[in-house]
Amino acid sequence: MNKILNILMLLLTVMVSQAATIDHIISQANLASFYAGDDGRSDARMIIVDNKDNKQMRQFVILRKDLTEGGDQNFLVVFSRPSDVKDTVFLVHKKVDDEDHRWLYLPALDLEKRISSSDNRTSFVGSDFFYEDVSGRNPQADLHELLKQDDAFYYIKSSPKDPNAVEFKYYTMQIDKQTHLPMVVEYFDQSEAIYRRVEVVEVVDVQGHPTVMKSKVSNLKTGGYTLMEFRRPAYDLGMEDDVFTVRSLRNPPKNWLSGQ
Amino acid sequence: MQEKIVNYIFNHPKVIFGGVLLLSLITAAMLPMIKIDTDPENMLPVDQVERQFHNQIKADFNLHDMIVVGAVNQSPEGIYNPKSLQALLTVATQTAQIEGVIDYDLMALSHVDNIKQAGPGSIQFEWLMKQAPSSQVDIEQLQQAVDRLPLLKNTLVSSDYKASSIYVPIADKNQSHRISLEIQAIIDSVDSDDDYHITGLPVAEDTFGYQMFVQMGISAPMAGLMIFLLLWYFFKNLKFIAAPMIVAMATVIMIMGAMIGMGYTVHIMSSMIAIFLMPIAVVDSIHIMSEFVEKYQAESDRESVIRAVIADLFKPMLFTSITSAVGFFSLMLTPIPPVQIFGAFVGAGILLAFVLTIVFIPAYLVTLKKESLDSLRKLHHSKSKLSGWVKGMGQFSVKQHKSVIVFFLSVFAVSIWGVLQIQINDNPVRWFKTDHPIRVADKVLNEHFAGTYDAYLVLQADTAAIESSFFADASVLAPLISSHVEEAKNSDMDFAQQLNEWLYWAEDQLFDAQDQLADDLEQFIALIDQTNIQLAAFKSPDNLAYVAQLQSALQQSGLVGKSNSLTDVVKTVNRELRGGAAVAFDIPDSQAGVAQALLQYQSSHRPHDLWHFVTKDYTSTVVWVQLKSGDNQDMSAVVDYMAEHIANKPPNQLISIHWAGKTYLNKVWQEEMVAGMGMSLISAFVVVFLMMVLLFRSVLFGLLAMLPLTLTIAFIYGLIGWLGKDYDMPIAVLSALTLGLSVDFAIHFLQRARDIYAENQDFNLTMQMMFEEPAAAISKNAVVIAIGFTPLLFAPLMPYITVGFFLATIMAVSAMVTLLMLPAMLRALKTHVMK
Repeated sequence: MNKILNILMLLLTVMVSQAATIDHIISQANLASFYAGDDGRSDARMIIVDNKDNKQMRQFVILRKDLTEGGDQNFLVVFSRPSDVKDTVFLVHKKVDDEDHRWLYLPALDLEKRISSSDNRTSFVGSDFFYEDVSGRNPQADLHELLKQDDAFYYIKSSPKDPNAVEFKYYTMQIDKQTHLPMVVEYFDQSEAIYRRVEVVEVVDVQGHPTVMKSKVSNLKTGGYTLMEFRRPAYDLGMEDDVFTVRSLRNPPKNWLSGQ
Repeated sequence: MQEKIVNYIFNHPKVIFGGVLLLSLITAAMLPMIKIDTDPENMLPVDQVERQFHNQIKADFNLHDMIVVGAVNQSPEGIYNPKSLQALLTVATQTAQIEGVIDYDLMALSHVDNIKQAGPGSIQFEWLMKQAPSSQVDIEQLQQAVDRLPLLKNTLVSSDYKASSIYVPIADKNQSHRISLEIQAIIDSVDSDDDYHITGLPVAEDTFGYQMFVQMGISAPMAGLMIFLLLWYFFKNLKFIAAPMIVAMATVIMIMGAMIGMGYTVHIMSSMIAIFLMPIAVVDSIHIMSEFVEKYQAESDRESVIRAVIADLFKPMLFTSITSAVGFFSLMLTPIPPVQIFGAFVGAGILLAFVLTIVFIPAYLVTLKKESLDSLRKLHHSKSKLSGWVKGMGQFSVKQHKSVIVFFLSVFAVSIWGVLQIQINDNPVRWFKTDHPIRVADKVLNEHFAGTYDAYLVLQADTAAIESSFFADASVLAPLISSHVEEAKNSDMDFAQQLNEWLYWAEDQLFDAQDQLADDLEQFIALIDQTNIQLAAFKSPDNLAYVAQLQSALQQSGLVGKSNSLTDVVKTVNRELRGGAAVAFDIPDSQAGVAQALLQYQSSHRPHDLWHFVTKDYTSTVVWVQLKSGDNQDMSAVVDYMAEHIANKPPNQLISIHWAGKTYLNKVWQEEMVAGMGMSLISAFVVVFLMMVLLFRSVLFGLLAMLPLTLTIAFIYGLIGWLGKDYDMPIAVLSALTLGLSVDFAIHFLQRARDIYAENQDFNLTMQMMFEEPAAAISKNAVVIAIGFTPLLFAPLMPYITVGFFLATIMAVSAMVTLLMLPAMLRALKTHVMK
């Protein structure tokens, strides 16, 4: 009896894993990376290191609220360092079916600005991260192919549907089967040489969500890299919708900025 | 002593031959280790201050050597047409993929970012030309975009819209010849009617090195061949003239082999060692052989003829060799390493040639079969045409000695006038002939653009006061903090980096700190923030305004095509943030405003571009100066103009201003060389004079011996002044050659005249005899060297042509001066000198 049960379980597992189609893997990875909880906040510290080991720092708080799970979501990024860019704010309304809406507030210039976001593969404030790395690349923009899998990872190759919109020819991902987080993403240029690597360095469970605490983007061409460290992450805080309106550019929501 | 040497030579000719052969083989084996060096930077010692500063700046600001590719379209529509733009995009994209090209720093229309207004209240960063535009509207938009960006206008597209350029940064300048060939191949494969040009200092240098290598294989052997033909013309005996050829070859091989074997690189100067040594090495042989032929009769015993010849010539040959060597050794006093090496090895080569001549020629002559020398007896070269002229000259100069002296004095005066007009100038691109593709590219691109020659004006803020006040403030905080700071104080990290580290540390500590410690940590963090702001001198609007002010001075100098700076970046971003109107093209009011504008600039595809203008701690910045000319003279003029301007409008007292960049370095070594050459010429002059006094045991004779070289040097440099030819490195080095060769003739002439006079005590007879064999040998030597170097005139490299031309002139002039001036002077001073 036990034996039969075991065999049934095994069969079931095989069937389930076959059902785990490539789209499912990608969608799970997307959810795990960018949609944990209904909302969330974290302190972030970026260390930008060049090939001669010169460092620059950026510190900011990032707030997020999902409108639909796996769909549109809003981000608010409030800078605290370097101190001369303190209170610089980015507001992003991420649209899955359209171009994102992005706003910028520069306090020293007392300037509120829309930023056109036709291209999300520009540097995020001088780091090796792209805007897209922070807010998430739309999974629909690429064609995904499961190369192989082992006990721990799915190995995926993704090619852009519109090659002219991006600088890479394709990228590969190693997705952790347990956490669904892409642990290593590598980008290949037109001559199929790897030139950029995004790695998850540390994952911690926060309120039941596997949460990236440290990640690293390496630019293999310049020899530089950027480390991003997260602190005091928290989910499901019940953020109000009006946290993510243009009003917050000049008056960022103080209560959500400091960690609990 | 001399006797003993000759005896040994006669008894052991095979030992001599074997020794010369062995040494030649050993040194020849080292020749393949040759390493070519064409980097003008190496004109300065590695530890030279300006050179070190230049390289520090290159490293601090990630400045790479650049190949400049330019496309020119002369049609009315210019470069802004679909076909040209498509070709530019293709060339840039493919060039970026060449091995050794730093693709992320490549500058081309297709590879830079545009910052622009995207509808009301909205700005956008995008690639300036991701795809080549095909519609007229899109093309006009591109043109307007470029015109709006001060960093690109007149740098990537010329202001007449006829030309566009691609700046190709390369990792290793020694690869630039290969990379430029690959770029050429790409250009050839692209469908375009535009004229493409490739230039830039690294290409010029590397291509020059390649050509130099080729020339070493062509010019030196051709010179050897010419000398051979001339010797054949004079002596008509193959076996006889083989001897000086062997001496010359052996000298060149041994010296070049030794130099390469000792690990010295072959620089432009040392590549000419063979060419310099070849004539000097045959000179002594020609003296010996002329006299041998003169004395050799059918019945004479070869050994005793040779003994007599050596007895006559040993002393003058030794002295001429030492004086010539001194002339070249004096080059070691210049602070230019390639010139030092050149001087050392040519000097050593001259001494070696003397030794080889003394030991090899007698051994060779004794070993030859008697019949081989038979033809020599038919030679009465003192009756040749050349000798006829020379004799006429001798008679004329003795008879008309007053007019001759007056003539030379006036030539001297005119020469000095010419010397005063000498233009000191050099430019590595001008080492190519005017029709060389690199010269053509240089000319065309500098006609269209703001200039392809770079120099950097570097502004650095002194941070010492900020550091010490930080340490003072930190020392009163909680012991945990002050001791941590104290510990790290002397690490080799720079201060700005330490601040970063301390900030991380403080934040980590703050995580579980309480009460007073927490307060102190907060204070410490605030102190770091504040110190960071103080450090960032070039985020300050005042300093940025000063940079802009320097730039307008550069522009006003009239010598600079354009300059680019951090201020241009800040103003451009600020303008776009403020709606794009021209009035907003200004520096923000506050340091935070500058910082926030720059944070936006870094949100582009090329955030690293910022670090070509400013260091990450914002304590230093460079102004990229584009010059239309790489001439040292023009660079000097800019430097002088700015020095005066800065003296009148000094920066904030903590800021120091220096120059860097290749064009500037060229100016530095040029100046060092001129000063060094003066020094070496004067010291060689003094040493040679003392040696002459010693040789002739007479101050008067010493002075007489110095006359031909003084006149010749004055004449040569006067000629250079009158011709308007720039005084550049090869020209500077010629002074040593002139000094060496002119004194050579004078020594032979005076020594022999004294010897002959001692025998017959009759001035007129002495002069008559002097214009037989001795004068013939001198004029023969002059002709051999002068004509021997005509192949140099056909080289594609200007320094070779220069050397070829002036060698011939030097020979002709110094022989003329020796044969006209010295007899005239001797005649005038007859009662004093001939006693």
